[in-house]
Amino acid sequence: MFFRVMDKARIADLVRGLSTEYEVIGPVAKGERFTFSVIEDPADLRLDFDTTILPPKKFFFPPEERMMRFRVADNEVVDDEAFASPRVLFGLHPCDINALLLMDNVFLGEFEDPYYKAYRDATLLVGVSCSPRETCFCNAWDTDEVHWGFDIFLTDLGDRYFVSVRSVMGAELLDRHVETSPITAEDTAEFQAVVREFKRAFPAKLDTSQLPLLLDAKFDDPVWDELGERCLSCGACSMVCPTCYCFDVRDDLDPDQRSGERKRVWDSCQFSEFSAVAHGQTFRESRASRVKYRYYHKQWGYLSKFERVLCVGCGRCTHACLADISPREVVTALVEGSEAR
Amino acid sequence: MAPRVVVIGLASDFGCQVQMTNIEDHLLDVLGLIDLTYWQLASSGHLPAEYDVAIVEGAVTTEAHVEALRRVRETAGAVIAVGACAITGGIPAIASAGELADRYGCVYGEGGAEVACGRIAPMPVTAVIDVDYRVPGCPLDTDEFLRVLSRALQGLSGRIPEEPLCAACKTRENICFHDRGELCLGLVTRTGCGAKCVSLGRACTGCRGIAADANLDAAYALLASRGIPAEEFTRRLSLYNTLEEGCDR
Ligand code: SF4
Ligand code: SF4
Ligand code: SF4
Ligand code: SF4
Repeated sequence: MFFRVMDKARIADLVRGLSTEYEVIGPVAKGERFTFSVIEDPADLRLDFDTTILPPKKFFFPPEERMMRFRVADNEVVDDEAFASPRVLFGLHPCDINALLLMDNVFLGEFEDPYYKAYRDATLLVGVSCSPRETCFCNAWDTDEVHWGFDIFLTDLGDRYFVSVRSVMGAELLDRHVETSPITAEDTAEFQAVVREFKRAFPAKLDTSQLPLLLDAKFDDPVWDELGERCLSCGACSMVCPTCYCFDVRDDLDPDQRSGERKRVWDSCQFSEFSAVAHGQTFRESRASRVKYRYYHKQWGYLSKFERVLCVGCGRCTHACLADISPREVVTALVEGSEAR
Repeated sequence: MAPRVVVIGLASDFGCQVQMTNIEDHLLDVLGLIDLTYWQLASSGHLPAEYDVAIVEGAVTTEAHVEALRRVRETAGAVIAVGACAITGGIPAIASAGELADRYGCVYGEGGAEVACGRIAPMPVTAVIDVDYRVPGCPLDTDEFLRVLSRALQGLSGRIPEEPLCAACKTRENICFHDRGELCLGLVTRTGCGAKCVSLGRACTGCRGIAADANLDAAYALLASRGIPAEEFTRRLSLYNTLEEGCDR
């Protein structure tokens, strides 16, 4: 890793320069919220954004993705190419970069997913520092910091960015497209002050003491029934979650019935059909069991395999849930007991 | 032999049948695969005595409809109910709330009850006969219609999504109407339309019916806590869902 400083006004140069070689994607305003979208004009890039509605996962694992086309007559696959054009994803907060690293464990682990891999390989990542909103709790999982998994990371020092360069590609791009200067001791001191301030700005840190053990101990806790009564089974939480990776696979025939396509679409464990199997059995009939399963998978199942919880504390689910069900509330209920809520 | 298909309309505004004619791009592909022996909207002939697939649009509002449907069920190998009217009773079913006889006068004037002889309280096709496939919505979604028709022609099961609309709405990155204090029925409405209305800036009116997975109790409770009283939620639901269970508080 090496470091540079860059004048804030130079961001437009960088975006314009990158646009000559890549598709540049970054946060843009949508009403009072933000989305990751293709940047047509550098002025649209809003690095002061809070949290996007959907996380960057949509660029690596789209909500609906064609996996292949097939012919009915001879059951042959006619096209299953995974193709991705080169692009730069601008403006990922630490939680979102950490979330991609958690996704990698799933899609690039034991069974490599060619679609995800093609997108991942074709995409450079530029992170940016943030300040916590009231729904953020990344500090509970240590995902408020990111040490790898990006090409460039920009820390906001007011009038300039403290630029951390992690990859050779990041260094080359910076060199080619924008003017930067070497860091001074003063820049480093200011960087540290900004980081300290960031850490202080969080609301009270979520107590996660002995969480996996408590999940085991409180499998039959009434808290799950209460949550089940409130949950709408709408699946919004899974869609907006940067670490939810479940999908359904569907085959649809073309109108002429001669060929068709297989696609995968985002799915949610909060739907009853998610656990339905052939001959109609559904393993998680009750809403309570489905809400519970979401937390057991994230805070226990994934942890037991990859030694991390499958949550980065981005707070998107908290914002999306009309029933006000949030990981913060669920974890607190387990750690402090139901009465404490 | 190509499967013989008929399209039958009961009480409706024929909107779904019009939608079917709007599938220009694919209509010829589909027509090449079937023997369309009767289409109420597009032909002047009579319903034949034998056919394989019946596509039924509209709500049941007369005794004659009930009779006709029973015959359809006996004749057709597969029945596809299309549109809100056929599946939830839709807009016609609003008339089933309250005293039916009182309503004739407002529509037909004096002597209305005689004109309206043989009328019964409106109900969906699905309340009279078992259907094999459903294409909900007001009007039907043409892509979904083609997918379902294709499944019927292939003899595959009639899968219909069971969950509420919000997930699809999130994938379109809409700002939730409830964040602005406006009521949107997507939180209990059956998904599958791709969150069309919501993405075009109009709150969902529930045309696809109540999702099997919907939690109406929770929806009523959370809306009340956000200042939307039960009567208002019920009133909005009644546009398409008067007869759906649990929508009457
Ligand atoms: S569970 Fe919620 S807070 Fe955690 S990563 Fe997913 S959306 Fe973010
Ligand atoms: S967003 Fe909330 S209401 Fe919807 S499925 Fe998730 S926890 Fe349940
Ligand atoms: S706008 Fe409607 S469909 Fe979309 S998330 Fe909100 S309630 Fe659900
Ligand atoms: S958004 Fe609602 S009203 Fe509009 S088509 Fe979909 S289900 Fe019907």
